[in-house]
Amino acid sequence: MFDAFFFQQVINGLSQGLVYALMAIGFTLIFGVLNVVNFAHGELYMLGAFAGLLVIQAFAPPLFVVLLLVVAVGLVSGVLLERIAFRPLRRFADEASLKSKAIREATLLSSLAISIVVRELVSNLFGSNMQTIPQQYLLMTPITLGPLTFASGQFVIFGFALAMLLALQWFLFYTRSGLSVRAVASNLTGALHVGIDIQRTIVLTFMLGAALGAVSGFLVGLYTGNIFPAMGFGAGIKAFVAMVMGGLNSIPGAIVCALILGLSESIATEYIPQGWADLISYGLLLLTLLFFPNGIFGGRRERV
Amino acid sequence: MNNIWFQGGRAALLSLALAAGWAAAADKVVSIGYQAPLTGEYAQYGTLFRNSANQAVAEFNQSHRLPGVRVEVKFEDSKGDAKEGVNIARKFSDDRSIVGVIGDFSSTVSIAAGKVYAETHVPQLSQTASHPDFVKISPWQFRNITTMAYEGPYTANWVHDTGAKRAAIVAIQNDWGQSAAQEFAHGFTADGGQVVTTEFFNPGTRDFRAIITKIARQKPDVIYLAQFYEDGAAFLQQIRQLGVKAPLFGASSLDEQKLIQLAGPAAEGLRLPTSFDLNSQVPNVKHYVEQYRALYHTEPNQFAAQAYDATNILLDAIVKGGGAGATRQSVRDALAATKDFPGVTGITTFDPVTREPTKSQTRLVVQNGQFVPVASTKA
Repeated sequence: MFDAFFFQQVINGLSQGLVYALMAIGFTLIFGVLNVVNFAHGELYMLGAFAGLLVIQAFAPPLFVVLLLVVAVGLVSGVLLERIAFRPLRRFADEASLKSKAIREATLLSSLAISIVVRELVSNLFGSNMQTIPQQYLLMTPITLGPLTFASGQFVIFGFALAMLLALQWFLFYTRSGLSVRAVASNLTGALHVGIDIQRTIVLTFMLGAALGAVSGFLVGLYTGNIFPAMGFGAGIKAFVAMVMGGLNSIPGAIVCALILGLSESIATEYIPQGWADLISYGLLLLTLLFFPNGIFGGRRERV
Repeated sequence: MNNIWFQGGRAALLSLALAAGWAAAADKVVSIGYQAPLTGEYAQYGTLFRNSANQAVAEFNQSHRLPGVRVEVKFEDSKGDAKEGVNIARKFSDDRSIVGVIGDFSSTVSIAAGKVYAETHVPQLSQTASHPDFVKISPWQFRNITTMAYEGPYTANWVHDTGAKRAAIVAIQNDWGQSAAQEFAHGFTADGGQVVTTEFFNPGTRDFRAIITKIARQKPDVIYLAQFYEDGAAFLQQIRQLGVKAPLFGASSLDEQKLIQLAGPAAEGLRLPTSFDLNSQVPNVKHYVEQYRALYHTEPNQFAAQAYDATNILLDAIVKGGGAGATRQSVRDALAATKDFPGVTGITTFDPVTREPTKSQTRLVVQNGQFVPVASTKA
């Protein structure tokens, strides 16, 4: 029996999952290379959305141009974030300090501090309310196929996530810079000894991760119609859950788990009150950690 | 920028108040205590209350309704915290010049402070506390806001008049949302309607597509929204994107210009009741809105209007309670006798027994990007 409402729910779930996945990609990339959680990722996401909105309000260029500018803002904020929150705590290149837990925890806190400062700054500048987005930029145009309804944003987000995944895999496996990213991720000291410029590689990873975060925030903001200073937090938590479920360092794993999360939340809404749907995600996380302590797609030596 | 205007407005007001004080230096001073969240998470509400209270008192002192008496407001910042509210209540109770208190903002803080006022016998009038238990604390509590117990059935009745028989409810999962959903459902089923589904969502939810799809399956005649404007804007956009055509009714909490700004064309056709219409042509509302704009260079909203009315109701009770000789007891009795008070949020009467206010509400519909009043006889 074909139940249109159920299929609609599947579509809603997959698109929600893609929203989580977009954010999880950048998150996982940085974690995979440095083995540190970048708590400011949600703020990169929010900054991307605000940067895009400001560009739209000032010049109202075509969407493609806005995207390029958002990417540029993301790249720059990645460099700044690494400079301010990570590099000062990674002063020594010897093996002991690179593997030190203290450094890992210090960067965790410094990135958290940056995230709070950035969020509060933006709230003070723009107010903590939701921002008005010009109607013509919203990615919410309905597209109906028989009894099913899609939004234009769902296709944009799907296309973007797919392109990102393919481009990232190509970059990591077929380019020289990508190889050095994987080398640093796999064994930092080893990479140091064979003469890879670690500093440059780490900055590159941050730039990529931040640009991905910024563009996701902007696209998701246009798709859900919500741009506000605290927007990164909720999305960040779900991306974090997807990353942990996926094994902390596997980008395809994070994407698959993000899709599972979105799908299970939306299908669960059919049977239980929506307020309980969050419980499903955290329940899945718990089950994963109980039965696959390394995550569903984790456990291999090589990160990223 | 806003801040500069605000400071300017306040300075103007202060000098006005000072000038009045100068002219009548020998006047007897009667004080009103005002506790509200002036800093912290709810500071934007506290600011609206302070603006309106200052405006109402300045107008009162200029009017010379009580010759030889000058009323002043003493503000205390409760930070939206129940503990602070209790401390302020003790302070105000000890201040013998205070004959009545307005505030607090939330039901939680108002109730905590109210327990002190009940013991020390100070009349307390909250502009916004809508929890059913608030006025049940003691005979000293009053409020200038209708509860959902009034508004829910009022809207249900309106929905029923449109011929709708099956309604779906979408409500935020908190105390207010639950009471709003419940009261609407009561009213609607009492009128012979049927509630096909009630969906609660967690505060902070921004993607409603799963809920909308679930509701669409039930094919309701109307959908009732007990939400705030941030959630409401996202919901309206998404429901139109998913092609659900059922008419939408909302709680008065959605009466915010910002809702229309955010949701754009998706807000068209939304219907909701309100007790304050910014664009009303009624003379006292027009006067209030114009004065407020002139003083603070920003638009008042229904929260500001409720504080303006609360202050005026208390000032009125001070006059009726003996002016210069008013006592806490006489002010309380005058408050309890408030009948047909013509405020900017409608005509207010306190029930002599329950002390619950009744107010006239107006029906609004969103048309061409504006909240427009609907003739009350037809939907």
